[in-house]
Amino acid sequence: MKIVNTYKKIAVFVGVLTLAACAHEDQPTESQLDFNQPLKTELDKWIDTNYLVPYNINAQYKWNQNTVDNTRYLFPPTLDKVQPALEIVKQIWLASYATVGGADFVKKIAPREIVLVGGVNSNSNGTRTLGIAEGGQRITLFEVDNINKKNRAIVAEFIHTIQHEYVHILNQNKPFDEQAWGKITPSGYTATWHLETTAASRELGYITNYARSNVVEDFAETASIILISTKAEYAAILAGITSAKGRADIQRKEAIVVQYFKDAFNMDFYALRDEAEKNTTYVINN
Amino acid sequence: MKIKYIFKYLVVASFAMQLTSCTETEVEQKFDKTPTERLNARKSELQQVLPTSEFGWKAVYFTDNKQLGGFTHLFKFTPEGKVDMASDFNTDTKIYTSDYGIQLGSTVSLVFTTKNRIHLLSDSNPAAAPTAALVGKGYLGDFQFLYYGQENGELLFKTNRNGQDVRFVKATAQDWTDLPKNFLMIPNVVGRNIYGANRGLEIIDGTTKKTYDFNPFTTITRFTSYSTATEVNGLGIGYTPTGIVVSPAITVGEQKLSNFVYNSTNGSFTATGTNGVSASIKYSDTPFVISDDYKNFAPGQPQKVVGYLAPNLTAAQSNSVLCRTLLDKINAGLPANQSLARVQVVFNNAVNGTYIQYLFNGGKATITHFVTTKVNDTNKTIVLTDAGWTHNAATIAILKDLDAQLTSPDGLYIKKEAFTIVASNKIYTLANASNNGFRITAYQL
Repeated sequence: MKIVNTYKKIAVFVGVLTLAACAHEDQPTESQLDFNQPLKTELDKWIDTNYLVPYNINAQYKWNQNTVDNTRYLFPPTLDKVQPALEIVKQIWLASYATVGGADFVKKIAPREIVLVGGVNSNSNGTRTLGIAEGGQRITLFEVDNINKKNRAIVAEFIHTIQHEYVHILNQNKPFDEQAWGKITPSGYTATWHLETTAASRELGYITNYARSNVVEDFAETASIILISTKAEYAAILAGITSAKGRADIQRKEAIVVQYFKDAFNMDFYALRDEAEKNTTYVINN
Repeated sequence: MKIKYIFKYLVVASFAMQLTSCTETEVEQKFDKTPTERLNARKSELQQVLPTSEFGWKAVYFTDNKQLGGFTHLFKFTPEGKVDMASDFNTDTKIYTSDYGIQLGSTVSLVFTTKNRIHLLSDSNPAAAPTAALVGKGYLGDFQFLYYGQENGELLFKTNRNGQDVRFVKATAQDWTDLPKNFLMIPNVVGRNIYGANRGLEIIDGTTKKTYDFNPFTTITRFTSYSTATEVNGLGIGYTPTGIVVSPAITVGEQKLSNFVYNSTNGSFTATGTNGVSASIKYSDTPFVISDDYKNFAPGQPQKVVGYLAPNLTAAQSNSVLCRTLLDKINAGLPANQSLARVQVVFNNAVNGTYIQYLFNGGKATITHFVTTKVNDTNKTIVLTDAGWTHNAATIAILKDLDAQLTSPDGLYIKKEAFTIVASNKIYTLANASNNGFRITAYQL
């Protein structure tokens, strides 16, 4: 057994050597990462107070190539336009949903990020993309540089974009009955919607020409047009439609929208419209 | 003894591990520092250098020198992330303030994070497009510049989107005050042919001279070209208070010439290198390029018609001063309701041979001058010789001076040009080969 003991001793010795052999390696030093917080401007602080803290929404106005389509020729907004745009969003969209859906509604179902882009987002077919909703998490709003709070048409278009995209976010969280919707006006959807007029589209049962692009856009357009119109304005839209079937189809879609808001979020859609209208008037007059 | 073998193997295995465990596994270091350290160093280098220049930086940004010219931008950075900016994109040369950031993309980059003048180059609004082909793309501009270090105190960048080189040079106080003067250079770049019937680019490499046509300049794109009969080279132009900057640079041997100085006495722009190297954009009554195009009009060739058409070609720069004078003289001699509509030369018509036709607006009958043609291969000209008119001497008197240029005994240089005017038709110019300054512009009809 002597030889076994010798081996044992050698084995222990080798084991110690093994453990000690690489002990001289460098120890980790301070991190290379830059943890310095960027300086916050008054605008940044305003965004923190009005978006980040109450809603956990990051309103991003500075250019970040990772949040935009780099193949398009876009540019960030002018600094002076950022706060007015975000004020409109807050007053007309966030406040309206908070009033009708409850204070926590948009905190739970909201995009976590709003990206503002200053310029026009042109498409190759000559149309403009006004907004994009992605994965229920991010809304990108274009043409922020055109914002003029005193111009109702501009505010209305901007709000239309937000309402439209937010309906997408809601749909991305709780789907609506696409099959039932698709059966109402199954034949009028077209990829070349931009060649159609809104007036002709309404005769066929679509609230706008863009609603004809597909069922999902049809839902978002129907909901958002009702939301940005007063009760009287919407009634006038319906009254202007010659085709009884077209009018009835739009009303059937309206009923699905109203039911969706009730079933999915226990929300009175018409109350939401009235609140948005009230807030829109407030924004334009202040 | 079984356990003994186990120990033996274990010991052998342990020694083997000893031999391999501390083997040098690190690859040879090409750099002194880790990639993170190097990126951080680059970042802080850029952060530190940007605010250091007292009067900021100047960059003539050529967004795509295959179709567009250069736009001068002046930047003054603060360490707090603000940038004052002015540009000569349009006549609003005021200074505006916005934000910038140093971001990590594929490498360290300078990004103009909120809107300022440089973003005007990246506007997809169809109304902002300089050409139909660029609808939705604006001026192909970028505002994220990847940082590639410094050279002689200048900062080297490449644009993030399409890899164009952008160089920041230290600006002076005068650069800021003189920026509006860039616009005074535009008429000089557009040119005035009072200095000569032809405009060319002359490159001298110290001993020999190479000449090109310098083609009409388009202000909306800040772009032009210079060409011979066989090659066309695009040229982007940026304005300076004293001349122009061109891209791509004119390469002569090892030298690259890009800064041209304007000379108001003869309308020329000259870039001077070393050892007698220079490049000049200048005027001359003698053509810079003489082509073989005359051969296509020689006797025996198929019919070809070229014609000066009013009003499309009336303002063409390739109409010389003498040409305009003679055209104006004809119109002045006509009744108020009449004017010259066309001067066209029909070559090798199957029935009537070659003839010059003068067509009029206002009901006046067409006048035709029959000619015979012969070519001069030495001078590369075609000579039109009188063979009779359709009208009497009194009627044709009004056309005599212009006609004399086309039927000059020295012949005509007839050349297909590298540019078009209004229509897509090919443009030819016909010039009196006596080099007296007569040159008229015509469509191939």
